[in-house]
Amino acid sequence: MASIELIIVFTALAGVLSYFVGRLNKVAGSVVTILASMFVFVSVAYFGYNNELIHSTEFLPYVTFSVTYLGLFFAILVTFIFAMVSFFNPFFVEKYKYPALYSMLYLLSLAGVLGVFFTNNFMSLFFFFEFVVWTSLFLIPMGRSKRAASSYYAFSTVGSFALLFAIFIMREASGTFNIVSSMASVNGTEAAIVSALLAVAAFAKLGAFPLNVWLPRVLGNSPDAISAVFSGGLEKLGAFVAVLALVKLAPFGYVVDATGLAASQYVIAALGALTIVFGTLMAIRQDDAKKLLAYSSMSNGGYILVALTIASSASVSGGLYHVVAHALASTAAFLAIGAVSRITGTTKMSELGGMIHKMPVTYLVYLIAIISMAGIPPMGGFISKWLIFQAVIDKGMILVAVAVFFGSIGSFLYVFRPLAALFLGQELPQHREVSKEAPFFMLVPMVILSGLIIYTGVLPNFFLGFINNVLTEVGVTPLVIGSYTVTGTNGVLQPALIASVFGVGVLIAFIIFIVLKKSRKVGLMDTYTAGNFIYTEELMHYSLDFYAPLERLYEKYINITKDFYKRLENKVVDLGRLMKYYFFTNKPEIMVLWIIIIMGIILWGDIL
Amino acid sequence: MITNILFGVGVAFFGFVLQTSIAGVNRKVVGRVQKRYGPKWYQEFLDIFKLLSKRSVTHGWIFDFGVIMALGGIIGTAMFMPITSDLVAFADFDNFFIFVYLIAVGMLGMAMSASGSGNPLASIGVMRALTTMLAYEVPFMIVVLTIIKLTGTSSVTGIAEFQQLASNNWFMIALPLGGIVGVMSLMGMIGKKPFETYIAPAEIASGPMVEYGGKQLGMLFIMHEITVFIEVSLFVHLFLGGAENVVLFIVKYFLVYTTLNIISSVYGRFKIDQVVLFFYKWPILMAISQAFVAIYLGWVI
Amino acid sequence: MLSTKFTKLSKEEVDRKWWEIGDFFRRNSLWMLMYCTGCCAIELPPAMTSAYDMERLGMGPMATPRQADVLLVTGYLSLKTLRRLIYTYEQMSEPKYVVGIGSCTINGGIYHDSHAVINQLNRYVPVDVYVAGCMPNTEAVMNGFVDLMGLIKTKKANGWKDYHARNEWYMANQKAALGEVKVHDEFHE
Repeated sequence: MASIELIIVFTALAGVLSYFVGRLNKVAGSVVTILASMFVFVSVAYFGYNNELIHSTEFLPYVTFSVTYLGLFFAILVTFIFAMVSFFNPFFVEKYKYPALYSMLYLLSLAGVLGVFFTNNFMSLFFFFEFVVWTSLFLIPMGRSKRAASSYYAFSTVGSFALLFAIFIMREASGTFNIVSSMASVNGTEAAIVSALLAVAAFAKLGAFPLNVWLPRVLGNSPDAISAVFSGGLEKLGAFVAVLALVKLAPFGYVVDATGLAASQYVIAALGALTIVFGTLMAIRQDDAKKLLAYSSMSNGGYILVALTIASSASVSGGLYHVVAHALASTAAFLAIGAVSRITGTTKMSELGGMIHKMPVTYLVYLIAIISMAGIPPMGGFISKWLIFQAVIDKGMILVAVAVFFGSIGSFLYVFRPLAALFLGQELPQHREVSKEAPFFMLVPMVILSGLIIYTGVLPNFFLGFINNVLTEVGVTPLVIGSYTVTGTNGVLQPALIASVFGVGVLIAFIIFIVLKKSRKVGLMDTYTAGNFIYTEELMHYSLDFYAPLERLYEKYINITKDFYKRLENKVVDLGRLMKYYFFTNKPEIMVLWIIIIMGIILWGDIL
Repeated sequence: MITNILFGVGVAFFGFVLQTSIAGVNRKVVGRVQKRYGPKWYQEFLDIFKLLSKRSVTHGWIFDFGVIMALGGIIGTAMFMPITSDLVAFADFDNFFIFVYLIAVGMLGMAMSASGSGNPLASIGVMRALTTMLAYEVPFMIVVLTIIKLTGTSSVTGIAEFQQLASNNWFMIALPLGGIVGVMSLMGMIGKKPFETYIAPAEIASGPMVEYGGKQLGMLFIMHEITVFIEVSLFVHLFLGGAENVVLFIVKYFLVYTTLNIISSVYGRFKIDQVVLFFYKWPILMAISQAFVAIYLGWVI
Repeated sequence: MLSTKFTKLSKEEVDRKWWEIGDFFRRNSLWMLMYCTGCCAIELPPAMTSAYDMERLGMGPMATPRQADVLLVTGYLSLKTLRRLIYTYEQMSEPKYVVGIGSCTINGGIYHDSHAVINQLNRYVPVDVYVAGCMPNTEAVMNGFVDLMGLIKTKKANGWKDYHARNEWYMANQKAALGEVKVHDEFHE
């Protein structure tokens, strides 16, 4: 038995403790984060799974908790990601300016996340939401760029305001802040507005188009561990809100007869589709491996939105399974890139090459992660993408399907790029001497994540069974699952069979390989050069502008959203200048005049 | 279970033998188109076994591992492939998406191995192969979406049986625009001219295959033959009504492959960006309009 | 009377049998890497295309030395190209064969007194079949290929083994002609 309140308080106190320990010794402070987040994960997962979490509160004022399957699902996932990533903290704290603060904020944001998932009160949900924003906000600038943090804050604010408005509208309608009853009490136009506002909050948190600008900046520029946390954990807050907005509240607008979908669903699905396409196209042209993965996170967020908005049993379970699959895969990929970055000091693909020869385990982790991300069996990403495809096809959403398929094939392109340019290819001389395999404790979380990625791909039924509980709770028909099979709308899948057949194929290929004559080992520079003598590794390493012919086709159009926000920013600055010019002049009498006029307008009819 | 798996291995082997023979015959056909005599019909077998008998070079473990993964993935995919509606190793589990995505494991293995050789031409070839894939796959998937929506099943045998019902036409006829898109995408899938940009022997020295010789190349040849088997028989099942018996299957298969080969033998080669622009112009428009017409208006011949 | 008793074959015997099977495949599927240095190369297009159709012998052009079985040297070899030829030859996978076409590869031909051209190819890499003539006509080229197949069948095409066995001798010749095979200068480093 464990009390949610105690867990949250414990996490926050451990955060404060880690600050003081971290002041004495940097590494010790970060070790506290490992212990605390592991403890939180184990207690939430164990007691949560056995329904033994106590939701009464004794210490915290105004905060009430409740345990829902939805909250539990996200809480277990996100605490797991925090626990896994925390293993990286001791290896990276040296680089930060404020290592003790880093450890504290890491644990405080974990506490905030737990609060978001377990509270049953909209006001405390908002409070915890902001708490997460504020704690994670100061983690970002410990990496490369301060601008990323401000952009994150700006877009989070949009989401937070939307959330706040939605909460007030629901309060107006129901007279309570309780999540369940206030969401149940809105209907008609109010429900539509609430749903739209919550969707805006979800978009801002997921980094979906058109609120996508912050995501690549933050993920690309944060410290390596924080990128992993954002991509696998904090971004999933958006998915949580999206479930509230898209699944729990009914869609609205004109209903198309042929498919039975409402106009709002089409709009959200279209925005999700645009997110997928933009994310894919931008990921293809990145040179920084972290930025590439960041855009891939954006594109995967689009999948989650498309899936949740269709709101059929296959699609919602596909969407939630995609949350799991993507959280695992993208965390593993970010950690692998982080391991490379720790050793070489760069994540630019044009400056790296042939890391596989020194870091084979990291390479395998990355390989498994990208197989899952690209949705190839036998990894977890395939199951979720399969379910999403089923739903999209079943509803006959053709244009969305174009985007979904495009993103899925496009993901082969971008995930392969770090594989080819960073891990494979020529071993560059500047890294040959310094490179070695990552330390054991960095490999531990990566290997655990890889194992889980394979497990989710081979035996998805355990997780799908849990997701079915969530589905029942949010009012969607549960998915039909057998002991090894998954039944979608128009087909049955047996992931274990696929995996074993793949194993048989590999076995046959291995036998063919092994009985034949042994090959002669030659060096990497002994390659076909049309008879020329080349001794420079860089010349034989194709990594810069990998997809140049494809990029050339769309590079004119890549800055549309960025330019839009740039122009918006300029307009806001102009407006501020205008205000300053007219209102806050250096003549106090004008200012007083304005104040009197405004007061008059506001009070007109009430007093005057 | 064991018998099913053995049967699946049998299907993969059958596919290899069938496609290798038909590819040999087709080399003769292309020879005749070019007013030559052409090689023996079993020349492809000789080439593959010769390669397996040679002593090759290796560029490290990933170079070998990728080849094993490539061939393994493709054999695994072929094991799911139905030959006729009854001859299928894992009934009910021959889902269309397995073929599209499990085949990608093989492709990924080959790409990985090629990049692992350290030759830039191989990486360029892989880049082109992936870009071509991005081009042809989306229109094809949209057409298949239409088919799955109409038949209500994504099982390949299910789709084939749907077309064998007396009241239904083959999808090649029922969805004429989609059928044309299917043919064009199939040309891209099996790497026939004008879409064989990623091989381009005179330009990038056979692309991904540049560093292979001996057994690795032989295994990749086997992989290629089985891949072509999977893709062409997928087309037969999806668009040409599958087959009631093995002979009919072989006849349909032969006709499809030979037609593609004859078309391909009179074409030159596209540049890679031309491939992408081509597929994102007419085929995708045709596929989308076909899907709208068939799903929202219900006009199916 | 033949004995029906099963005698276990020795390892050499088994290897020999496998080798003979391999030879069958190898001689029926010769892939060429064309090192077209001189004028004799003009004889290859008619040999490959519809006039003589080399593909009916199972032969065909290949893009890289890794994939090829036969190295065709068509014509004279200057010292600059000889380096590349040796590099390419060493990259081929074994068993590998070399066919020298034209008089230039045999004795220097009309360039026999040039300071920049080597005279005798088989001092630098082992040659299995020569096709004489300046230039040889296409029938002779095709006949050379058929000869090579015959040599493989009778196990006489052993140039690649000879390159291992007398490697010092070849190396010494290469060194005498070229100094060092690999080029080290500002263009290559």
